[in-house]
Amino acid sequence: MSTERFEIIGKAKKVIQQIGLELAFVDSVNENGIDGINDLVRQLEAILGGEEPEQIRAGMDAVRQWIDERVAIDNKLSSVCITRLGDWQPWIDAAVMSWEYQLSYPTFPEGWKTPEVPPPAPVGNGAAAVGPGGQSSQAGPVPRPAARTVELLPEQTVDVVPPDSDLEMLQLFCAEAQDLLQDIEQGVLVLEVNPTDSSSLDSLFRAFHTFKGNVGVMKLMVLQQLAHELESMLDAARRGNYQLGSDSITVILAGSDILKRFVTELSNQIAGVDAGRTIDLPIPQLIHDVHSLLAGGSKAPAAQPPAAVKPMPAAPQAPSAPAVAAAVEADFAAIFHAPAPSPEAEPARSEPALAAPAAVAAAPVAKKQATNQQSAAPAVGSGIVRVDTVKLDGLIDLVGELVIAQSMVVQNPELKAITSAHLSRCLGQLRGITSDLQRTAMSLRMVPIRNTFQKMSRLVRDLALQQGKEIALSLEGEDTELDRNIVEELSDPLVHMIRNSADHGIEMPEARVAAGKPAAGTITLRAFHQGGFIVIQIEDDGRGLSAAKIRKKAIERGIIKADENLDEREIFDLIFAAGFSTAEKVTDLSGRGVGMDVVRRNIEKMRGKIEISSIEGEGTTFTLYVPLTLAIIEGLLVGIGEERYVIPTLSVRESFRPLPGMVTQVQGRGEVVSVRGRLTPILRLGRHLNTPHTALDPTQGIIVVVEAGQDSRCLLVDQLIGKQEVVIKSLGEMFRHQTEFAGAAILGDGRVGLILDINALVKLKSRTNGEAA
Amino acid sequence: MTAHPSPHHSSHQGTTGALPGKYLTFTLSKESYGIPVLKVREIIRLCPITPVANMPEHVKGVINLRGKVIPLVDLRSKFCLPISADTERNCIVVTQIAAAAGGTRLYGVIVDGVEEVANFTAADIEPTPDFGGAFDSMFITGMAKSGTGVKTLIDLDKISAFDGTIAIQAPGLPSASHAS
Repeated sequence: MSTERFEIIGKAKKVIQQIGLELAFVDSVNENGIDGINDLVRQLEAILGGEEPEQIRAGMDAVRQWIDERVAIDNKLSSVCITRLGDWQPWIDAAVMSWEYQLSYPTFPEGWKTPEVPPPAPVGNGAAAVGPGGQSSQAGPVPRPAARTVELLPEQTVDVVPPDSDLEMLQLFCAEAQDLLQDIEQGVLVLEVNPTDSSSLDSLFRAFHTFKGNVGVMKLMVLQQLAHELESMLDAARRGNYQLGSDSITVILAGSDILKRFVTELSNQIAGVDAGRTIDLPIPQLIHDVHSLLAGGSKAPAAQPPAAVKPMPAAPQAPSAPAVAAAVEADFAAIFHAPAPSPEAEPARSEPALAAPAAVAAAPVAKKQATNQQSAAPAVGSGIVRVDTVKLDGLIDLVGELVIAQSMVVQNPELKAITSAHLSRCLGQLRGITSDLQRTAMSLRMVPIRNTFQKMSRLVRDLALQQGKEIALSLEGEDTELDRNIVEELSDPLVHMIRNSADHGIEMPEARVAAGKPAAGTITLRAFHQGGFIVIQIEDDGRGLSAAKIRKKAIERGIIKADENLDEREIFDLIFAAGFSTAEKVTDLSGRGVGMDVVRRNIEKMRGKIEISSIEGEGTTFTLYVPLTLAIIEGLLVGIGEERYVIPTLSVRESFRPLPGMVTQVQGRGEVVSVRGRLTPILRLGRHLNTPHTALDPTQGIIVVVEAGQDSRCLLVDQLIGKQEVVIKSLGEMFRHQTEFAGAAILGDGRVGLILDINALVKLKSRTNGEAA
Repeated sequence: MTAHPSPHHSSHQGTTGALPGKYLTFTLSKESYGIPVLKVREIIRLCPITPVANMPEHVKGVINLRGKVIPLVDLRSKFCLPISADTERNCIVVTQIAAAAGGTRLYGVIVDGVEEVANFTAADIEPTPDFGGAFDSMFITGMAKSGTGVKTLIDLDKISAFDGTIAIQAPGLPSASHAS
């Protein structure tokens, strides 16, 4: 039961973080924002599945009510709703955390239950942001379905391909899209035979959903709209609210054909064929069909769908959808810097009101993309092969084995006895090739951190705009490569920390000028290698941390005692304590004290660590140390009796052999040792792990001081064996309940060594410690 | 759309009796047992075992099977049988059993000796008799008569499903997700 709960909580937290990310990118103009949030909230509801305590349920009910309300009114987010969601996300995050740790729940704001008063002038909102687009007057709150497609399209032409999208991203997009489309086609074929097959429905729904997300990232709103409509139809079918018939399957196929045509065309254009040519897609027709199908249920006349299918082959000659053509074309003119519009584009161009604003907005982007294209041109031919990660991991495992087998051969005593220049040359060559092979295998999982960094530039831009600050983001070392998993895991902590820097670090322009600094603040995001780790720094030139203020706050919050003696580093570390916040006013972005502790948890989960340095008035630097890959760690090999254990080097502070008198007994059972003036409890590992051990007295063994977060503990082991890089392997589900080990590793002699879970050992409750010592 | 291509592991799940087919028979102490041969991945010699602390008695630890770390259990201590000193005939049967997350996982079992692969027809297999509460027979799927005696057919999936739950867990600590 309890593991189930933690599973739910774990999944819920992920979705809540996604909601937070989604919220950061929402503004009141963006009518598509609500779909993303609605989807995530729906996911969250599904995950919780009624298992949640009533406090959380109240929060979920509230958000459901707001969203349903917005959907019913105009399917857009209002500023009231955004503010509420902004408050809600950290609230639910805190509530879920309370659930996890059985703490008291945050109070439920009473105001949340009342329905939102519709904002007086949603029309004004839309028009103001659309600016030059004369069409925007149409974008008012037109009641519903039939009008909706008409209403949405004109505004979409304003969307511009974001300047940070590059060819590489487009290529990845195409590769992934092709896979998704294949999934879609397979799923549809199954559905044709058995329209209620729930696993195909699910996979189809997921495929469209992912596709929607991808085109959303590329800012192709028209396609996103299409994917969204198909997705909602499948969602209805999945929930049993709608029965898929042959007509709806035809529509889905037609939709996937449209997407496929787009992707094929796009990859052709990336490869340089007909770059800049318009891609005409009969999307409004299809969306209309979906709507009429959904409205009429499964009994909808089959007359409509063929109409959607038919125009497609003929589309280039007679575009059935000038508005869409204009939108898609404008986007891609921007990307591919079309030398001359092709004749097919003419009908679309003749809609000046639509195409003009887009073209203007796109112009600065076009140049940049053109240079991008040139520099990336030689790479186009190389192509991308997508490989199942299971296969990849298998390969990496095997290579790891090969390296071990190789070292066993090279170090074989009988072989060593042979003195032959030829043999040693051959062995040397073997060693060279295996280590090359290992490096290549490892590099297969490596991706540059560029994409993650570039996402941050978008975030900084939005944050600066929202808060009226001037912030420049400078990126360094974007080509640094990391394990794919790590890059994924890093994204959320980085978002938190960048927000933190933008929100708390950088001052308002006036304050900066008054302090003699340039009005525009700078956040530097940098990545580099250092001693087997990847170091990521987030540096701002803002107001810096005030040790005195932090101290005062921590005492107020009861995190430390008033008379506690802490050095500066320890005081800075306090901002990672749960429930700490230095922001004087709580903004909707950060400052609720959830955040930095989560950041630290996430970083530690991937066996990294985080450090802060700051000079008051000059700025703050957060430094993250993360391993190159999740698969390999550098470990300190220690011996206890016959067994060997691995302690991750990153958590080892020091090791020494204690002298008599350094160890003090407490009540005859506990032991403490004074490490640099600090009394640190000793944990006798041999006893704790019930392993025969030789160091019966601390002075016969070695003390390894390990730290996790702010806590440290002395582990007593028999001997130090050495340092070694090990490939981490899971212990498997049989050992999922044990808390001592983080995994296992194959050691040089082929035996299995267990990797100690330092976090668990350091935070071990006193009861167990008393037993062990 | 590709499902896990090993349907055989599930063929015994949920059924009360053992299905006819080929079984690998082996000895534990002086008793004879059988498991479906389709679940057997390979048979290896005893190798160095790394014990894992604070696990139930019968969980011997983990071994390195060509780079994979797999758990090893001793069915003799699981079934409360006497354990004699290791001999040349002792070996590890590496089996492939259903994983909780779907798919299969490897599971090593120490046995006193491997006998043969026997073909049991439906007529050979009899349902588990009621032992009158003398012991829990929930892991037994049936009894197979063969020329030399009776083999007890056991369900490793069921046995392994109970391994983890007996583990001693430090109180108050939510079981953190382990290294993948």
